[in-house]
Amino acid sequence: MTDVLPRRSPWSRFGRYRHSLWLLTRRDLRVRYSTSALGYFWSILDPLVMAGIYWFVFTQVFRRGVGEDPYIVFLLAGLLPWMWFTGTVSDCTRAFLREAKLIRSTKIPRTIWVTRLVLSKGIEFVASFPVIAGFAVFAGATLHLEVLWTLLAIALQSVLLIGIGLIVAPLVVFFRDLERAVKLTLRFLFYASPIIYGVTDLPPGLHVLAAFNPLSGIFSLYRAAFFPQQLDWFAVGIAAALSFTLLAIGIAVFRGAERAVLKEI
Amino acid sequence: MGGRVVAGVQVPDPVISVTAAGIRFRRNRRSRRSFKDLLSGRARRRRPDEFWPLRDVSFEVAPGEAIGVVGRNGQGKSTLLKLVAEVILPDEGSVAVGAGVAPLIEITGGFVDDLSVRDNVYLTAGLHGMKRTEIDARFDEIIDFAEIGDFLDTPYKHLSSGMRVRIAFAVISRLEEPVILVDEVLAVGDRAFKEKCYRRIEELLDGGRTLFFVSHNEKDLRRFCTRGLYLDKGALVLDASIADVLARYDADYGVKK
Repeated sequence: MTDVLPRRSPWSRFGRYRHSLWLLTRRDLRVRYSTSALGYFWSILDPLVMAGIYWFVFTQVFRRGVGEDPYIVFLLAGLLPWMWFTGTVSDCTRAFLREAKLIRSTKIPRTIWVTRLVLSKGIEFVASFPVIAGFAVFAGATLHLEVLWTLLAIALQSVLLIGIGLIVAPLVVFFRDLERAVKLTLRFLFYASPIIYGVTDLPPGLHVLAAFNPLSGIFSLYRAAFFPQQLDWFAVGIAAALSFTLLAIGIAVFRGAERAVLKEI
Repeated sequence: MGGRVVAGVQVPDPVISVTAAGIRFRRNRRSRRSFKDLLSGRARRRRPDEFWPLRDVSFEVAPGEAIGVVGRNGQGKSTLLKLVAEVILPDEGSVAVGAGVAPLIEITGGFVDDLSVRDNVYLTAGLHGMKRTEIDARFDEIIDFAEIGDFLDTPYKHLSSGMRVRIAFAVISRLEEPVILVDEVLAVGDRAFKEKCYRRIEELLDGGRTLFFVSHNEKDLRRFCTRGLYLDKGALVLDASIADVLARYDADYGVKK
């Protein structure tokens, strides 16, 4: 009776990885949206509130000397991808600890615990596009052909996030303090990245330095959709180089730490 | 499938081959370190003393064999099982498993509290490599086996612990993988269900599966296994028939009858 069913067809390595990645991502999204009535609304509420606050501070309280008009669209074009970045990196600090039981009982390729976070937060990011589209229509921003660079930006940001995740996730298992250090760094990085301002608003001496924050180049690609003058190919080039370097370092760190991580959890 | 010729007889390729495998753990160490330890320098940091729960273990398992692992608590049985499941990696030597594995280790590990039983079945079976259509084909049987038909759309967290283990066992034991690993998971559940699980394991064995079984229960070991591995102090002491292995174990640790 055990062999009445046909033998299972074998997987390719990549096919199996993709299948598991998709299952875990769907699980995350399903858990998030099935446990709260507001579901999708929650995932866009956070950037909306933040955008509301900054819009108020910089357009109503202070006389704004930064960014572009309409400011709310300029702000969201940086804030939404920032939410993807910060959400993924801070979740990566718990990537192994939260899934310890599953990691101890299944032989899924271990990098999946990082890539699934990048993917599920990335899906939420893409799902928040209607928000910025709504504000663009409302505030009268024009969409340019440069919107196509969004695809390049998503690709670069994914590479960057996977790289950082592969470094952070295993190291947190050994150095507990890293979790707090990461939170602090993210808070610093929020102001050090062109989110509430653009790179061109910085003093000229800082332009080159700012380009060495990979988020500068990536965010300039997103912003080019509405503000083509924000596109800065020098920063994009550096962002690409840094992202792939971090990915290479991440893969090396992950390989080196994997054995020890599995023993710790 | 290939094979080799040993003493003029064609022997199938081993499905599990463990070669001089060893794994090292650290004793006397907090599970995680802080930056302070990192900055305090090598000299002041106490060298954590290491121990080897398993070292220099070598054996091969042919397809269809049923292996029982015997040893006292803390002698590396579960570690060996995890090595074979490839959920931990050896520091020395190698562990090669040439076929898919259905690990009955922490079987409820993949289940998510907030999802329904139905979603959980698809999730767990999927993570163990089953395709959707394959799960569809086996779904009713899994649910029947777990005797859980009325709770299909109940969130997993509302099930009793017995039901949780039942559904988990039903899923993992239906994975149709050539190798089955069983840790002492079946201690939970009522007697009738335990017997049902044991019958399923026997059924799988009759279907030509390879079994790797860790237990303290002599009766269970004799029931399923033909060959025994006796682990003591991290070493493989004896690799022989299950009767010999149990006899040696009794002799060493004086189980009074």
